[in-house]
Amino acid sequence: MTAVHQFVPALLPRDATGDHTRALRDAFVAAGWESRIFAEAAHDEICDEAIHYTDYPSYAGPDDVLLYQVGTASPVSEFLLSRREPLVLDYHNITPGHFYAGWEDETAARVGRAREQLAALAPRAVLGIADSAYNAAELAELGCRRTEVVPIVVDVDGWAEDPDPAALAELAASRAASGPVWLFVGRLSPNKAQHVLVEALWLARRWFDPDTRLHLVGPAVTGAYAQALDGFVDELGLAGAVRRGEHLSPAELAAWFRAADVFVCVSEHEGFCIPLVEAMRFDLPIVALAAGAVPETAGDAAVLLGSSRPATVATAAHRVATDDRLRGVLAAAGRRRLASFDPARSRQRFLEVLGALAGAPVAS
Amino acid sequence: MGIVTAMPELSGATSADPSDYLQQVMAEIDAEVARRRASGDLPAGLERELDELFLEFSPVGAQGQTRLRESLSLVDGSAYVDIAVPVESNKRAGRLVKRTVRSLTRFYVDFVVHQIVRFAWAVSRLAHQLVDRLEELESEVAALRPPPVPAAAVPVADDGGAWWAPTAVEALGPATGRVLHAECGAGSLVAAMLAAGIDAYGVDPSEPAVETAAAAGLDVRAEGAADHLDVVPTEGLAGIVMPASLQWCDPTERARLVALAASRLAVGGILVLHSSTPAGWVRRAPTLLADLAPGRPLHAETWAHLLAEHGLAVTSTRTGGGSAGLDRMDGALPGAASVNAAIDLVEQALLGPDEYLVVATRER
Repeated sequence: MTAVHQFVPALLPRDATGDHTRALRDAFVAAGWESRIFAEAAHDEICDEAIHYTDYPSYAGPDDVLLYQVGTASPVSEFLLSRREPLVLDYHNITPGHFYAGWEDETAARVGRAREQLAALAPRAVLGIADSAYNAAELAELGCRRTEVVPIVVDVDGWAEDPDPAALAELAASRAASGPVWLFVGRLSPNKAQHVLVEALWLARRWFDPDTRLHLVGPAVTGAYAQALDGFVDELGLAGAVRRGEHLSPAELAAWFRAADVFVCVSEHEGFCIPLVEAMRFDLPIVALAAGAVPETAGDAAVLLGSSRPATVATAAHRVATDDRLRGVLAAAGRRRLASFDPARSRQRFLEVLGALAGAPVAS
Repeated sequence: MGIVTAMPELSGATSADPSDYLQQVMAEIDAEVARRRASGDLPAGLERELDELFLEFSPVGAQGQTRLRESLSLVDGSAYVDIAVPVESNKRAGRLVKRTVRSLTRFYVDFVVHQIVRFAWAVSRLAHQLVDRLEELESEVAALRPPPVPAAAVPVADDGGAWWAPTAVEALGPATGRVLHAECGAGSLVAAMLAAGIDAYGVDPSEPAVETAAAAGLDVRAEGAADHLDVVPTEGLAGIVMPASLQWCDPTERARLVALAASRLAVGGILVLHSSTPAGWVRRAPTLLADLAPGRPLHAETWAHLLAEHGLAVTSTRTGGGSAGLDRMDGALPGAASVNAAIDLVEQALLGPDEYLVVATRER
């Protein structure tokens, strides 16, 4: 029987990698394959879906293919290096450590270790699957012999649920009393450069509209960066203009998307950037720095900036937030672009490439 | 929304191709930023100041003696390890158990903590010594640093009529893109280049000079050379006339400017550099500038060496400028010809040319 087992450092609910892993497992099982998830750790909510990775030998079969969802540094990497089964890497990018240097040395060391582990695994893998050409190029550079680009299995339709009514009502009331609302969704982290958004906001309020607001949604990865950002916001007198959202449910997140005028991303390093796809799903026009895989993910559904100079970001964000014709063009392009991330197509492509490795016929 | 300043409306583009339209939007955004820069809405260096302000809140950006001493206090505070483990508990038995464990392990904890504290204090002491030494060095360096050059002592450039202007214009003739005159003063050389069909523009930190140039219809902006080059795209210029202050600025600043200029010049681009000779500087530099300038002019050969490090090959060097310092005899007087010839020789041997012009091309 065809068997493709997945390994992941941590299996988490409401997490892009966790959702992707579970969606693939379901697709493999639906295709009649044997498929289990092995993890170093799993969230209580879904711990019955994962098996500790060290228990894999008791499940191992002669024709197994192992698919590793590369994330952070983990002993799972070392475990897989010791295995003889064909190994496939599914790579969603690891932020280079230099972004954290000086901010949080522990995080810098951890991602550095993750990259070292990836460099050891890449030449050993029979295939590297990446969700962007940008990530595929990184895999190839690390010695991966063969790479395929397959978009991450993101359940776009799952985001279509109605926004949380209470959150939406509160955000809408606040919006009615303010100027344009800029939104960014992503971890508070130096590589995401939220401080540049704050600088741009300060300029936009001086130049265009003193009531412009910035909404930042996402957890803090490094406490030092979040703390610095808070201090900076206070110093610039923007405490009332910057609002942070953390640990939001999907319905609450939908409300934040609905209550924004423009999605602004000046992240300096992105391997794919799912929030761009989320913005497209909510018809929210995008302004983004053309860095990493962002141009590839956004396509023509964004105003792509060649520089993250605050003056440029402020001007572009204000323009997009207030120019109806431009908003219409970007939203329409976003809807077209969404078709490229059809989860059914991604699932099918995963079945094809992995089925070929595992010697399984795949019905389309 | 209360828009304070509306941006210029779209220039009525009705292009059907969204990518053409987005390109046009980007061009309009860039033009808007350039307009704000030129109008003084975006003072030179403001964006850098915002970045620096943010860094003051970061652990990497901790600057100045106060921050250093604050950090040192943190080290001192953390160097003490409390071995009195709390034994409070909601349950009586729990308290007893904790107490017992504390008593039983005390000898072991004492032994480990003693070593940790010794190490921590050694590190703290070393940090104190380093900070003390650093403060000493900083005060010594501050004493050696010359006072700032008064702005009034820096001559505003009027290079269009200089002896080297025709050579510079001729050298830049083949440039097939934008040519920047850094520190262009009232723009006389920019005007000469435009007259020769060169797509020239200028920047200068002197606002009165820029106003004069702008009144003459020239594209000149109120910015310093480094601030401007910072925002020019890589390989975005076909030619650069380097600023006059390059010859006497601080060596670190000089190296930064040269590196910036080299990176902003396209391959095949032309760089023109005018400087006093070291001897000419001594003879002719304004007194305050000569005494207080942090750097000194280099020989033309040294420039050839420095530029080569950035992929620039010197294609021509021309000396000139500065009239002879010695008076000639009236030619009608007997023996005047031989005396004047001797004066020429003395001048050449002792005085030499006051200035030179270097033309270089970026080869790689």
